[in-house]
Amino acid sequence: MVPTDRRTLLAALGSGAVALAGCLAGRASPGPFGGDDEETAESGSRGPKPPTVDRSLPAAYEIDELLETSRSGGPSPDGIPAVENPRFTPATDSPDALDDDDPVFGVEIDGEAKAYPQSILVWHEIVNDVVGGRPVSVTYCPLTGTAQGFHRGETTFGVSGQLINSNLVMFDRGTESWWPQILATAISGEDAGSHLEEFQLIWTTWARWRSTHPDTVVLSEETGFARNYGRDPYGGYNPPQGYYENDSFLFGPLTEDDRLHPKAVVIGMRSEHGAVAVGKDRLREERLLAFELGGVDHLAAYDDALDTGYVYRIDDSDAPPASWEGGRVAIDGVDYEPADLPYERAIAFDAMWFAWYGYYPMTDLYE
Amino acid sequence: MSSGRPRLSFRVLTDTLAAIRLALGRRDTRAVATVVAVAYLIAYLWATGDLSYRPDVTARLLVVDDPVGRLFARVGPASFGAVATLDTSVFRLLVSPINLVIGAVLAGLVGINLALSYLAVRRPSACGIGTGSGILASIPALLSGTVCCGPVVLLAVGVQASAALLTAFTWLLPVGVLLLLASLGYIAAKIDTGPLPEPHTTAAE
Repeated sequence: MVPTDRRTLLAALGSGAVALAGCLAGRASPGPFGGDDEETAESGSRGPKPPTVDRSLPAAYEIDELLETSRSGGPSPDGIPAVENPRFTPATDSPDALDDDDPVFGVEIDGEAKAYPQSILVWHEIVNDVVGGRPVSVTYCPLTGTAQGFHRGETTFGVSGQLINSNLVMFDRGTESWWPQILATAISGEDAGSHLEEFQLIWTTWARWRSTHPDTVVLSEETGFARNYGRDPYGGYNPPQGYYENDSFLFGPLTEDDRLHPKAVVIGMRSEHGAVAVGKDRLREERLLAFELGGVDHLAAYDDALDTGYVYRIDDSDAPPASWEGGRVAIDGVDYEPADLPYERAIAFDAMWFAWYGYYPMTDLYE
Repeated sequence: MSSGRPRLSFRVLTDTLAAIRLALGRRDTRAVATVVAVAYLIAYLWATGDLSYRPDVTARLLVVDDPVGRLFARVGPASFGAVATLDTSVFRLLVSPINLVIGAVLAGLVGINLALSYLAVRRPSACGIGTGSGILASIPALLSGTVCCGPVVLLAVGVQASAALLTAFTWLLPVGVLLLLASLGYIAAKIDTGPLPEPHTTAAE
């Protein structure tokens, strides 16, 4: 009897631990929200879909390959909560912990300028907002160092808790489809393969954004959630430290390349012509960088007011050369702001080199 | 049991309760349990990120929009939502009642385990166990403090996450609790829970 009772006791303790671990493990992930919701995801929309655009983007992987490489980052869906009702304060009343040299993600749409501190987004990754009257999602992935803006229409985006290539996988609450941030492409649901409509976010510092956009407002720490804003669980950018500057990964990239430090910042741009990465340090030095992508001329221009870069597509092969003139760009005798060259500006954003290369191994690189 | 002999599980329970009473009944062991439990709770909250040193922010109390809704919101394998931020100009406490309960339970178990270990050291005649048993058994629980900051721990040790590692983080808390309970039961079965003199009288023995 005694051995039996001991086994019974241990079994009871063991099954208690199993049950507790099961409760703590979160949902698995074959579909957007695991097996229970797979049918819903396949059957399509329960709510409004995010607006998509007809465009062509380079793809190195099939959707099934991407799904196979997705892995849980730890939190369950919405375990990292998006900010749904953002509040803003004037630049003169910025958050306590926001220093001048801290990174912010700036956006200006139809004359309305807003800044989203990295120190807040590192805890939320997505802010569902309205800027210039347009519903948008401002998104940030700490592990890949990417801040990207998407038009969201009548739906909102959330954090799925999944990672692909270390990159945030968003889901839209209308169809619960997965959208890897950098790819801006659905990889599940009835619209798999469709692309989100993007807008330009500027990765800069609070002082630079404030000086170039004096009327800006800044996201408040009153997000509706209690988080340790001002403390970055991964390290820091001011100065660079921890995950953001070392060469280790939390989750392995899809593929690797050693031409640059894995966390080196590149300005990435992808279009129907291909993918290109321009080293941010190189652009800082050269100010202007002309290159060809897919047979089409392009020009990358540095903006020293914001410490950012823009990429333009120059369809006219006979376009006059551009030159740097004390912070402005001279083209055919006319000076332009780097953000306003007379060419079509493509969506480009900062990214860690490993993340960009992992998704776009066919990319051109100007290191 | 018709035999009149108490089931082992019941005996373990009564022995454990007796050991807990012993640990909390003596001034010295009660002090050890309290100090260890408080220190552990602070360390746990620190490790999970709920408590931090923040002299850079002004003192205030900020309650979230939907505290009841946030109360049970999971933010990690064994970490739950905070309902308020309490800034004191020195420390910041993210007030998460569930995390506090989890931390308090762990802290209590660690405290009692170490108090009984202390008793084993000070009163070896009362115990048939090795000195470090309780301390060793407490290690998993100490590790369980990492349950909701697993990726940060991985950063600190510089390794890539794997499914196995992430699963391990999920198991830290339940395994830690289980081992602490097992340790407590083991010590309780070995220890003589009869009355012992208070520490100030032991020198005369």
